[in-house]
Amino acid sequence: MTRAGESALTIGWLYPDLMNIYGDRGNILTLYQRARWRGLEARVVELGKGEAAGLDEVDVFFFGGGQDREQALVYDDLLETKAEPLAEAVRRGAAVLAVCGGYQLLGHYYQTATGERLPGIGLIDVRTEAGSRRYIGDVVARADESLDLEPTTLVGFENHSGRTFLGEGVRPLGRVLRGYGNNGDDGTEGVAVGNLFGTYLHGSLLPKNPHLADLVIERALGRRLDPLDDRVELDAHRRIVERELAGRR
Amino acid sequence: MRTGLAVLAGRATGTLSRASRRGGGTTLPGDVARAIDPSVLRRLTADLREGAVLVTGTNGKTTTSRLVASLLEGQGQQVVANRSGANLISGATAAVVARAGFDGRLRADWGVFEIDEATLPAAVEEMRPRAVLVGNLFRDQLDRYGELELLARTIHGALEQLPPGGVAVLNADDPRVAEIGLGLSRTPAWYGLDDPRVARRELPHAADARTCPRCGATLRFELVYCGHEGVYRCPAGDFDRPQPAVAGRDVELDGLDRLGVTAGSSRLEVPLGGLYNVYNVVGAFATGSALGLEPAYMAERLRAVAAAFGRQERFEHDGRRFTMMLAKNPTGFNELLRESERAHGRHFLVGLNDRIADGRDVSWIWDVDFELLAGRAAVVVPTGTRAHDLAVRLKYAGVSSAEPPTPQLDGALDRLLGAVPSGGEGFLLCTYTAMLELRALLVRRGWLRPYWAT
Repeated sequence: MTRAGESALTIGWLYPDLMNIYGDRGNILTLYQRARWRGLEARVVELGKGEAAGLDEVDVFFFGGGQDREQALVYDDLLETKAEPLAEAVRRGAAVLAVCGGYQLLGHYYQTATGERLPGIGLIDVRTEAGSRRYIGDVVARADESLDLEPTTLVGFENHSGRTFLGEGVRPLGRVLRGYGNNGDDGTEGVAVGNLFGTYLHGSLLPKNPHLADLVIERALGRRLDPLDDRVELDAHRRIVERELAGRR
Repeated sequence: MRTGLAVLAGRATGTLSRASRRGGGTTLPGDVARAIDPSVLRRLTADLREGAVLVTGTNGKTTTSRLVASLLEGQGQQVVANRSGANLISGATAAVVARAGFDGRLRADWGVFEIDEATLPAAVEEMRPRAVLVGNLFRDQLDRYGELELLARTIHGALEQLPPGGVAVLNADDPRVAEIGLGLSRTPAWYGLDDPRVARRELPHAADARTCPRCGATLRFELVYCGHEGVYRCPAGDFDRPQPAVAGRDVELDGLDRLGVTAGSSRLEVPLGGLYNVYNVVGAFATGSALGLEPAYMAERLRAVAAAFGRQERFEHDGRRFTMMLAKNPTGFNELLRESERAHGRHFLVGLNDRIADGRDVSWIWDVDFELLAGRAAVVVPTGTRAHDLAVRLKYAGVSSAEPPTPQLDGALDRLLGAVPSGGEGFLLCTYTAMLELRALLVRRGWLRPYWAT
């Protein structure tokens, strides 16, 4: 266990070539830059298929979304070479942010339209079932109060046909004010359990939600961060909140 | 009779639409005509003396279809085309209606239409084309199409429905297009590039990686030209790039204005810039060959073409030069940024809209290498409905010369104007509807001609 300590942030990018759709690079770039702007030494470790080296050095994992074909390709590798070290990393305090397909894979299973259950790694207590209609559009959510975020809103863009359901007593990342969220039914969006964050929001998510980006880094490092000048990010954030809550254009 | 009535109503709508300055009248007349006669496009294209050619793919549709139309026109033949980029069935219908007589007959030799990828099945069914060119399939507007796999199956299904003698002209260098073509019951006319000197040795982005359609292994690229276009193979030997019958060799890129490429024994010199335009030129050449045009004639004709409307357009104002370029996805955008770098561009306006025609999801800007502008650009003005998202992107790219977000195009244009020194050059990179709005603004200011007049 060689955690690099408080002056560095190691970002582990799971399957950058296969699970990287919808500008997931923006999330990596945001974690990286926000660490650097605070004088932390930041580095990105790419964890592709078959690669397990370096997993134990990661402070924060990012797991993005992919199309069906790509997602099917990472199942075996995730279960065989990543599940155990990932669970171990989480036990020692690493944070995980998973978006869309990555979010689904961290749960118990994904049930296809034909009823087949593809196992996830069960790191978080959620399950996903295929839906018929895709949920596509801008999302505004009220962050779960336990996260104590300021501003209290989260913004992003969703594009998924999976319906995700939280286990008993599991806290969502937030509740939708606009958009569909986890399943279009119970109003929840994403999940936040300890250092684990799952969500359907991309757009990219973190650049427009700098408060969430910092929360993820703080959980990964186990300490508070100094604030940055986030006027540009929060202007973009507020503009979408205002536009979407006023009704689209 | 119904077709005649449909033509009459459609043409009247087009005239009204232009007169009321609502735009070029590019789709509304089609909708009106189809409401009166749903088979108007089918009937009118059946009148074409030679037939129809369709061009589809994510990037380069407008330029490639203009090149093909120009090749056919140069033969002294009459060509109907949807030149304004309105590429749904309504746009194609509007184009033929505008050229048809009130007797409901179309007097022309060829129809050349750029067609939206998802619209291809309907277009093939109604127009029964002699040739369909599929240029590339990038991740574009996923919010509209859902999965690209589905789109690939849609295109495959459409190509299987080509009439007897119809040719699929396919880019062998795009693994997604190759996958479609290798599954067809008839042999496609493959084209591609063959010039390691202008290739990279690895993919520019992780996001460009592609997997083998048979075994799922990550494809190995020996050469990469644009995005995921290149020379590739499956490490397990299940799938590799088809050998192109028309291969572009000895590529020369000379700034924004000129490119040269050799196809077969013909040297093609074209007044267009950028490697992505080499694909457009070679694709148009391959299409012309499939339709029986002489290589020497095509080489001669291509020297004289002008860039497609709006995709890349030049204007001058107050002793300053401006280049306006359409940029709608990461691959296209990155090529334009590299092109502007070769032209030593330092002053930029970037317009990002999130209307339906642009794609409502703007996450793709995080796959654009705006880092290329850091330390190089003197001014970057973010504008459009998502100007604020662009401003965040520029901040994280380290572009310290970014101006504050200016959503209104009018104000953004003035900022750019104020920044470009006399004798200098400004670059305007815009998504589709931002481009249309910007162009309308430039027409109102009298710096450009209306596009229905070009």
